[in-house]
Amino acid sequence: MKRSKTLRILSVVGLLIIGLIVLLPFFWMISVSLKPATEPFAIPARLWPESPTLANYASAFRPEFRTYFLNSMIVSGASVVITVSLALFAAYSFTRGQLFALSFMLGAVVLAQMFPHAAIIIPIYKMMRSWDLLNSYTSLILSYVSITLPVAIWMLRGFLVKLPVSLEEAAAVDGASPMRVFRDIVVPLARPGIISVAVYVLIITWQEFLFALSFTSTNDMRTLPVGLNDFIGQYGIRYGELMASSVMVSMPVVAVFFFLQRYFVAGLTAGAVKG
Amino acid sequence: MTYKDRWLAWLFLAPTLVLLAVFLYYPMIGTFVESFYSTSFINPNPEFVGFEVYRKIIASREFSEVLWNSVLWTVGAVILQNILGFSTAMLLNQGLPGQGLLRALFLLPFILPGVVTAILWRFMYDPQLGLVNSLVVRLSDAENAVAWLASADTAMIAVIFTAVWKGFPFSMLIYLAALQSVDREQLEAATIDGAGPFRKLIDVIIPSVSSVILVNIVLTLILTFNYFDIIWIMTRGGPQDSTHIFPTIIYETGFGQFRFGEAATYGVFSILVLSVLVALYAIVQRTTSNRRATS
Repeated sequence: MKRSKTLRILSVVGLLIIGLIVLLPFFWMISVSLKPATEPFAIPARLWPESPTLANYASAFRPEFRTYFLNSMIVSGASVVITVSLALFAAYSFTRGQLFALSFMLGAVVLAQMFPHAAIIIPIYKMMRSWDLLNSYTSLILSYVSITLPVAIWMLRGFLVKLPVSLEEAAAVDGASPMRVFRDIVVPLARPGIISVAVYVLIITWQEFLFALSFTSTNDMRTLPVGLNDFIGQYGIRYGELMASSVMVSMPVVAVFFFLQRYFVAGLTAGAVKG
Repeated sequence: MTYKDRWLAWLFLAPTLVLLAVFLYYPMIGTFVESFYSTSFINPNPEFVGFEVYRKIIASREFSEVLWNSVLWTVGAVILQNILGFSTAMLLNQGLPGQGLLRALFLLPFILPGVVTAILWRFMYDPQLGLVNSLVVRLSDAENAVAWLASADTAMIAVIFTAVWKGFPFSMLIYLAALQSVDREQLEAATIDGAGPFRKLIDVIIPSVSSVILVNIVLTLILTFNYFDIIWIMTRGGPQDSTHIFPTIIYETGFGQFRFGEAATYGVFSILVLSVLVALYAIVQRTTSNRRATS
């Protein structure tokens, strides 16, 4: 018994150390974002500002920032809706369809998850250029849907295989068309899966940087990650405003994540642990 | 869906198949094609040069540096991330009070956008204003603050640490789910036999989650190898190319210098490295699922 007590103490100490490493940067980010410009950053730095202020937030929330925010909302929002719908259709076919080439196609989907984006971006860039789509929402939405679809299908398939077939069969016996079975039975039952996939797509597209950096060239089309990266140069060492912007960029995904954590964690681990 | 609803199955799959073909598989082939052409900013018309670009790149010092850096970055981050992720999962799996809250808090770096993570850590490492040096100066009586990202000796360690900070919660999450599936009876039997916590870890826990460990390691290898955001924002591959990895060199040669042929050739090399990892993933998956099926 004595040994288990020391073990508990060691565990608590371990968790405290990990917690400190994880949370200190967040604490620092918020602290600096609340620091008035007059408070110096001397070494050793003060951990919490003497007189916290929201001034950095007010000045960071300038017109460009609002444009980037709107762009990110449009691009991420559209990608979430399109990816989730397409993934739902595809995942349903993959779990219930009776096609000869199904396992081959599923293999192609799984493989596509692992494609290096940096390596395939040049042909995509050239394609977008020839279609005159560079610097448009469409180019980003098309890319984001394509890169998130494979994992989304995989996660949703994990949910759908666990649904009992008997409900669908009973409805079909009652004369419901396959389309109705899908709409009225499968979609409502798959709700937890749909939510977790939506959170996944939001997290990925909200932070996507490589495609946004390569495909957008003017300020009015930039999304938040690229805009934030531009701020590094513009703000110079005005870290207060930079950190305030960072907090504002992160807020939406952190909030969504905390509300829907349960679904997201279940979806992610179901796919990964099952393999 | 019955056999006669095959048309519906095809209809449901069609948009996905078209998107994957156009935006993932076609560009994959396109990268190979592109690598046989030479383009530059001065001469934007692609000119077929065969393996010329390959020869040039393999002979360059940059190529061996990028290859070495990629190995260092990927293997370093993956090992640390999995050790930290597994240990944290073990600590969070003992029924201590407040572990649900801790799990949610520990996931924060994972959901934090990559760009924000990179900017935050750039700032943390700042020699004058950063928290890392504040702590180093306070804890040891080091006279001079270290310019972590500006020195070729420390930049790689600094970016790896950032990647581990951001990536370990993902591994933790997967390991937590796996640990919950460990057979309780087997653990109790081991306790009755007088096995200590360390013995239980080695004899019961690790064997029963070994397949998840393997899959997780290969999966994080693939994700880390492809990760662009952190290094690009923190160091742009510098100083003196000491942190240049495949994704950053591809972006720099492609979109920084418009040498698409060279960028594509680097792309092909990164695809080759990845194919080895993907093959490894497939083998690990197959053997572990076979083992599960027979046991």
